[in-house]
Amino acid sequence: MAANFWTSSHHKQLLDPDGVDVVHPLDKEKGLTQEEFRLIKIHMTFYILKLAQQVKVRQRVMATAVTYLRRVYTRRSMTEYDPRLVAPTCLYLASKAEESTVQARLLVFYIKKMCSDEKYRFEIKDILEMEMKLLEALDYYLVVYHPYRPLLQLLQDAGITDLTQVAWGLVNDTYKMDLILIYPPYMIALACIYIGSVLKDKETTAWFEELRVDMNAVKNISMEILDFYDYFTLAGGEHQKGIPEERINPALSKLATKA
Amino acid sequence: MTMMPASEPSAAAVGDEDPSLSKRVADRYLKREVLGEGTYGVVFKAIDTKTGQTVAIKKIRLGKYKEGVNFTALREIKLLKELKDPNIIELIDAFPHKGNLHLVFEFMESDLEAVIRDRNIVLSPADIKSYLQMTLKGLAYCHKKWVLHRDMKPNNLLIAADGQLKLADFGLARIFGSPDRKFTHQVFARWYRAPELLFGTKQYGAGVDVWAAGCIFAELLLRRPFLQGSSDIDQLGKIFAAFGTPKPSQWPDMVYLPDYVEYQHVPAPPLRSLFPMASDDALDLLSKMFTYDPKARISVQQALEHRYFSSVPAPTKPSLLPRPPRKGDSLNHRPSEFNSQEGPLVLSPPRKLRRVTVHHHEGLEGNVYQQDKADEHMGEERHGETTGQSGNMPMSIDLGAVFGSRPIPRPTLNSADRSHLKRKLDLDAEFE
Repeated sequence: MAANFWTSSHHKQLLDPDGVDVVHPLDKEKGLTQEEFRLIKIHMTFYILKLAQQVKVRQRVMATAVTYLRRVYTRRSMTEYDPRLVAPTCLYLASKAEESTVQARLLVFYIKKMCSDEKYRFEIKDILEMEMKLLEALDYYLVVYHPYRPLLQLLQDAGITDLTQVAWGLVNDTYKMDLILIYPPYMIALACIYIGSVLKDKETTAWFEELRVDMNAVKNISMEILDFYDYFTLAGGEHQKGIPEERINPALSKLATKA
Repeated sequence: MTMMPASEPSAAAVGDEDPSLSKRVADRYLKREVLGEGTYGVVFKAIDTKTGQTVAIKKIRLGKYKEGVNFTALREIKLLKELKDPNIIELIDAFPHKGNLHLVFEFMESDLEAVIRDRNIVLSPADIKSYLQMTLKGLAYCHKKWVLHRDMKPNNLLIAADGQLKLADFGLARIFGSPDRKFTHQVFARWYRAPELLFGTKQYGAGVDVWAAGCIFAELLLRRPFLQGSSDIDQLGKIFAAFGTPKPSQWPDMVYLPDYVEYQHVPAPPLRSLFPMASDDALDLLSKMFTYDPKARISVQQALEHRYFSSVPAPTKPSLLPRPPRKGDSLNHRPSEFNSQEGPLVLSPPRKLRRVTVHHHEGLEGNVYQQDKADEHMGEERHGETTGQSGNMPMSIDLGAVFGSRPIPRPTLNSADRSHLKRKLDLDAEFE
């Protein structure tokens, strides 16, 4: 997406770190812990990515879909908004908002193909009903900016385009966290470049200094990302598969949303 | 929640001031008469009980093919949530009601097309300047936010109670910014289409809106649509007849455009001969907005800084601009029995039928390009009728017959165009 993040609704909607990752009171009543809440969001991010690969949409559609999902759960409960329905509907809505529509029936088809678990299976009408509810939950704000474009520009500017692969992968992984709800996309991009340059032993100190950004902020975001990798490994997460079912299912069954 | 009965047009209270008869929508809005048929659903007037403000509510029809919220509507919502400016229509609220999405807009009394058409209105040079300035201000804001409107025409420039002109109908608008991004060229009603679009370019920018704004400027001066092509080929012919066939030196990229065809050379008549009443500054700005090469065409911001806007006369204050009678005024004079049986009345006969367009023969069109294919023209005729009909207007008045001749139907994007466009947009090559 084009420039002018600063005047966008995305910028105005950025949240304080304390405002995200808070378990909704209704979910708390059901006994959902902070940890489980976080795991479900990671799991649903993986779910969206896998579904997106099946229906073949662009990177930014998945990224937008995950952003919608994470935004929704800063405002709504998982008890009332079943993540297993919200995830595919976010992808459906994002595909429209990003001008590369995926038909609802195609989504339903691939969900059936991918998921043997009944609890993931929904009909077209469920998705369409949820679409309307999501629009409301998002307060109809649909434009989302992502770190990908600034990432490419910044790498070019720094003359380290050989870092593109690593940094791009890092950016992908940030969607398993709530960073996109908290920080401007270019800051996330910078953090990924910073990590990448450390990993690949690239000298970027001078370049970062010239940028005149708050280097502490960049480093803090980088730390959050690195912490996430540790956390993910500890949670038994696997690079391709995500969080193991035996950790997710007990959490989801607490919500017991689908009859 | 107070449920209104079927929100079909037939259930709407028409111009009825008795509050017991008006319906509440979503607890907050008192439903009034139907205003018309929008791009994707019925539009009705309502009172916002929270603010006392009069609003227009668009009820979005759900798509036929089980595809949820209408794609065009969603695009409009997405962009309008980002665009807040005095010269852009405000999306006040949105809510689902009985399975349909409703969009709440500020109520607009009229539109620029009605102003231009109204023969009782005299537009002074200061008035024209004011209308153009507001158009360009709204457009400049869009372009600053990297949004192309892509459907600029007088009909989409609405006029508020305080005289402010506001850009509306962002159903075709898109975010741009990537210079190599490919778009469909099937945008704008034909008369407002820039030459690069007519030559099939898929990589275009803000210049297409500038060209359309130029057409609107010309229309304000002439009081009729400036370049009324009956087909894309004829449209280019009309453009070239007005400004001369472009030479490759004027527009180097032209010959590489996908649908480029060579036109017989015609020289440009003096611009003054087309706009005898316009000031020198107006003509200079006009010629810059009609520059062939989109790269050389004036930007909206530059246009706003043009001498035309700083020279006398100063633009008229919006509140003092001449306007046609308010939409709905005519309604109050109707005998009430009209209201009851036949469902909602259309508030005024569709302007498209009422309009008397003077056929002009100024040598502008007497050229080789005027091989109007009969069938294409027929298509337009039929199309003109479809846009005018809303299924519920009084059938008895044939204004065409009253005036003795049918005006030229104004081409818009018809539903076939739109669905074609939608498919095209869906298939658009995307970046990233």
